[in-house]
Amino acid sequence: MTAFLLLPTLALLARGLNASFLPTLLSPAVTDTLRVSLWTTGLSALLTVGLVTPVAFLLARFDFRGKAVLETLLDLPVVLPPVVAGLGLLLTFGRQGLLGAPLELAGLNLAFTPAAVVMAQLFTSAPFYLRAARAGFSSVDRDAEQAARVDGASGAQVFRLITWPLAFPFLLEGLVLAWARALGEFGATILFAGSLQGRTRTVTLAVYAALESDLGPALVLSAVMVCVAFTVLLVVRSLAARRG
Amino acid sequence: MKRLRRSCARVLLGALLLTGGARAATLTVFAASSLTDAFTEIGREFDRRSGNRTTFQFAGSQTLRAQLEGGARADVYASANDAQFTPLVGKIVTARQVFAGNTLSVIVPRGSARVKTLADLTRPGLRIVIAAPTVPVGEYTRRMLGAVDRAGTYGRDYSARFMKNVVSEEPSVRQVALKVQLGEADAAVVYSSDVTPALKRAVQVVALPSRFNMPAAYPVGVTVGARSGPEARAFVAFLLSADGQRTLRRWGFRPAP
Repeated sequence: MTAFLLLPTLALLARGLNASFLPTLLSPAVTDTLRVSLWTTGLSALLTVGLVTPVAFLLARFDFRGKAVLETLLDLPVVLPPVVAGLGLLLTFGRQGLLGAPLELAGLNLAFTPAAVVMAQLFTSAPFYLRAARAGFSSVDRDAEQAARVDGASGAQVFRLITWPLAFPFLLEGLVLAWARALGEFGATILFAGSLQGRTRTVTLAVYAALESDLGPALVLSAVMVCVAFTVLLVVRSLAARRG
Repeated sequence: MKRLRRSCARVLLGALLLTGGARAATLTVFAASSLTDAFTEIGREFDRRSGNRTTFQFAGSQTLRAQLEGGARADVYASANDAQFTPLVGKIVTARQVFAGNTLSVIVPRGSARVKTLADLTRPGLRIVIAAPTVPVGEYTRRMLGAVDRAGTYGRDYSARFMKNVVSEEPSVRQVALKVQLGEADAAVVYSSDVTPALKRAVQVVALPSRFNMPAAYPVGVTVGARSGPEARAFVAFLLSADGQRTLRRWGFRPAP
C-alpha cells in the first residue's frame, strides 16, 4: 500500500526533473500558466480571507434557526464534483445565466475571463477555509475575551488582540488548504473560464492540454505541482503541531 | 439445497445465453467526439445484427491518441484527422481507411444580431470559442483562417484579428459547440455534422464560402493489439457498407473525400 501511494509521485518526479527541466520551466507556455495560476490563486486567497472570515466568526458565535442547514449548504462545494460547480457558476453568472442580464447591463462579462478563474477557485476552495476558521473561532476561550472586556477593551480590541491571534493557526491552516485546492482546480475552471494561454489557462489546465501534444511541459508542471503539494502539506502539518 | 443448486445453474445458463456464449464479442471503439451521435446509432445497429457488444469512448482525437500511446486497450480507432492517426499506423493501428468526410460550420446563438457574416467575426469585443490546435477541428479551423488571409477578401490580417476575439481553446469539438449552445460564446467553429437536430434549436449557421472551407477526412483502423480482431474488422466493414454510410450521411457527414 505504501508503495502504491508513493510510486506515482516518484514516477512524476523522476520523469519531470530531467535535463530539460529548467529550459522547459522558463518557456513562455509554462511561465504563462504559472503566472496565471499564481495571481489568480493569490487573489482568491485574499478574497477568501476578506469575505469568509466574518461569516466564519458569525457562524461560530451565533445560533439561529436553520443554522445547520445553512452550514451544510456552505459546505456543499467541498463534495460537489467540480464540473457541476462550473455548470452552476455558468448558469448563475454566465451571459444566459440567472444574473446574466443585470451583469450585462453593468458591463460585466464574466465567463471566459480571469475573473471567472478566480470565481471558480473561490467557489470550490472557500469552504475549506470556512470550516477551519469556524473551528478556530469556536475554540477560542470565551473567558479570555470576557476578561479583556472587563479590563475595558472594546469589541474591536477584543477581536484584534485576543480572538484573532488565538484563532490564527486554524485560519492559516484553512487558508493553506484552500489555496492548494484553488491551485489544483480544474473542472469548474475549464467549464466557466475556458482555457486560453496567458489569460485563463492555469497550471492544471496546461497539464491537461500539454498531455495531448508535447509531453515536456506536462511533466515539468506535474513535477512542480508535486513539490508545491508536498510543501503545502508540510506547512499544514507544522501549523497543526504548533496548534497542539 | 438441491433446489438452490439447480436454480443457481439455471441463472448461470441464462447469463451465458444472454451474453451469447463464446460467439459474442465485446468491442471497444475509440472515436472522435464529432462521431458521437452517428457512431452510437451505427453501434446499436451493428450489435443488433452481429450480437456483439460495442462500447465507445468519445473524446478529442488527440486525447484518444495520447491514451492509445499510453497503452489504452481498444479494438478500433476512428480519428477526425490524419495528424492524430498517421503517426500510429504500423505501431498501434494496422492500416488506415478513410470512411467519412466533413466540412466546417461557423455557428452563432439563434437570433444573434452580432454575427451575420464572416467579416463580423473580427469585430472587437466578440467572444469566439474554437478548439485547441491539436484537436482536429482546431487544426482545420486554423487552415480555414489561413485560406481567408490568403484570399485577402477581408484583409490579410483577418486571422490575427479573429484570434484576438478567441476567449477559449477547448479540448473537443463538442465542448466548443456547447459554449454557443449555452449562449456564452458569440460564435464558434465546429463541423457541419455537429449541427445536430438537438443543437439546431439553439444555434444558427453563418455561411462559410466553400473556397475557405477545409474538407475534413476521417481515418479508421483496427488496432494492432485488438482482442476482438475479426469483430473489429467487421465493424470497419460495416462503416464502409451502404448502411453505415447512409447513417453517417443522415448525421451530416459527407462521403470520404
